[in-house]
Amino acid sequence: MQITKDEAPGRTVLRLSGRFDFHSHRDFRGAYEKALESADVREIEVNFGNVDYLDSSALGMLLLLREKADAKGKQVTLAGLKGAVKQVLDIANFGKLFTIKA
Amino acid sequence: MAGTSLKILVADDVRTNVRQIEVVARRLGHTTLIAGNGEEAVELFRTQTPDLVFMDIMMPGMDGISAVREIRSLPAEKWCPIILFSALDRMQDIVSGLECGADDYVVKPASLQLLRAKIRGFARLLDLQREVHDYSDELRNWRAQAEEQSRLGAHVMARLTDAEGLRDPLLRFFNIPAETFSGDLLCAARAPGDEMHLMLADAAGHGLPAALTAMPLTQAFYGMTAKGFPLPSIAEELNRKLKAILPADRFVAATLACLDVRNQTVEVWNGGNPDALFVDDAGRVVHRWASRHPPLGILPGPLFSGQTETVAFHEAGRLLLCSDGLAEAEPPGGGQLGLDGVLRLLGGAGPGLDALDALQRGVKAHLAAEFGRDDISCMMLRVPVERRHRFRIAAPNMPHAEPAAFSDWRLDLSYAARELRYLDVVPAVLGFITQIEVLRPHQSSLFLILSELFNNALDHGLLRLESSTKDRLGGFDAFMEQRQERLARLDDGQISLSFQLHQVEGEGVLDIRVHDSGPGFDYKARFENCGCLDSEDCHAYGRGIALVRALCSQLVYSGAGNKVWARYSLGGRAGAGAAA
Repeated sequence: MQITKDEAPGRTVLRLSGRFDFHSHRDFRGAYEKALESADVREIEVNFGNVDYLDSSALGMLLLLREKADAKGKQVTLAGLKGAVKQVLDIANFGKLFTIKA
Repeated sequence: MAGTSLKILVADDVRTNVRQIEVVARRLGHTTLIAGNGEEAVELFRTQTPDLVFMDIMMPGMDGISAVREIRSLPAEKWCPIILFSALDRMQDIVSGLECGADDYVVKPASLQLLRAKIRGFARLLDLQREVHDYSDELRNWRAQAEEQSRLGAHVMARLTDAEGLRDPLLRFFNIPAETFSGDLLCAARAPGDEMHLMLADAAGHGLPAALTAMPLTQAFYGMTAKGFPLPSIAEELNRKLKAILPADRFVAATLACLDVRNQTVEVWNGGNPDALFVDDAGRVVHRWASRHPPLGILPGPLFSGQTETVAFHEAGRLLLCSDGLAEAEPPGGGQLGLDGVLRLLGGAGPGLDALDALQRGVKAHLAAEFGRDDISCMMLRVPVERRHRFRIAAPNMPHAEPAAFSDWRLDLSYAARELRYLDVVPAVLGFITQIEVLRPHQSSLFLILSELFNNALDHGLLRLESSTKDRLGGFDAFMEQRQERLARLDDGQISLSFQLHQVEGEGVLDIRVHDSGPGFDYKARFENCGCLDSEDCHAYGRGIALVRALCSQLVYSGAGNKVWARYSLGGRAGAGAAA
């Protein structure tokens, strides 16, 4: 999986592409760590526009990010959901846990 | 260099050559063994297992080349580098020397610096080799340990998850693991009222860690089902349990289902699993229960919802639960089976439960004999339609000989609105009652009687629900929805329960009184319309009362219809196979 970061004032966007699965653990954590530490960032958006596969450990990583962000008073939003990725997140009802952006 | 001290074998018949290497070796902190010819060298190699060898070629007796060949033919546990050290300096000598199994060639005379550099170089290689050797040792140990853990895990898992309910004639299931054993958990049990409870749980990941995550669900599921708790309460408890013990990134997708043949309903809670399907005998999907909740173990109690979806069925069919591994089953070349594939396999397989065996064969064929990427599991439950509303009650299991000895016993309970809103009263009370030894064998019958009488008091007495709602198309859902709404708003009213165990004419009886604060109902009219036991068009409500009548020796309504008294005989008639 590849991750590129867009850092705007108050907001960090993580653009993921490829397969988001148990191999992505370290990369994903590395990508959001700085945003979590920065007092200025209020929102972390995870953009799935170019993700073609998502497994249950990826869902676990999102939950972990959500918990850490909650503790720092930051919001996690999920964006760019479509196809198989959207289906997996829908079945897990992640819409009840995260803010979803169209 | 801080490396390990090496044992260096030096084979040379010329003393000064030996001396030269000895000096360098000693300065670098290594020890030496000396051989004067090939035979001695081979012998020392075999008995002393040196780490590095310097070998002269021209020696009396066995020459260096033959000695190297001999040494290389010995069984070796680790690699020992051999350096040929010779005055022969033609390219041909060097090449043939290296080809006989030596690792390097140094031409005499050699400077001390060169010898030092050679020894250091090989010492580094030997260190590296030792590390690799240690790592692979460690890996081997880990592997053995992992296999042992898997074996133990599989054994414990098999014992923990085996249950009588899984052998129910209405049920068929399969589980194709991605590894040694599956992390998917399948459970099935009959509730005291004879409802069939199923659970299919799929923990994130597969194998041992996944199984470990799902394990705590077993006990809670079976325990609560046996006590008669309803599905929403079971879901809440399972979630609470997992939330308390799992780390934030772990969760368990689960489907819980309850088949109530007597009331002809299927109730499902689905959190994170693929749609549960009601499939008719032609293989068509008649109803789907999509995942309406996040998986278990994520939401804290107050945010969690145990809300189920109940559907009344009028035709026989099959309830199908599966983990996501089923539709995602994919052979090495790609191409997921998909829900369409699953339905195609089912559709071609005929009406009964054998269809599941056909599905299993189809999935295995699709995977082309490879293991799946994920555990694949599936449960199929026969959903029968019973026109005459027969039902089973577990036969009281008691010693036949003496009338069991007991003292008179009495229990009085009263619940007000606030507690009625959230308590599962029937399982809780049943828990009290069945602590009394003589009542324990009657758990199933008492559960049915108590459920009917209590639910009538709550649904009709306090919540003022009309059971005729249930008879309309889609009425069951409407009824349940209305019930939930009104229950949440209930702020007045009370239900009293009283139980008295005593002897009447030498026979043990349990008198049950239920009294609600509602306005009552016209019980005389109701029973004239719908009291008969075999009536096929009998309303859901009447069926319940008819059932209580069948189980009890006496049933008397009084007051405005808000008081009911039932007498249950311990000795006599409460047996198996009663019909209502």
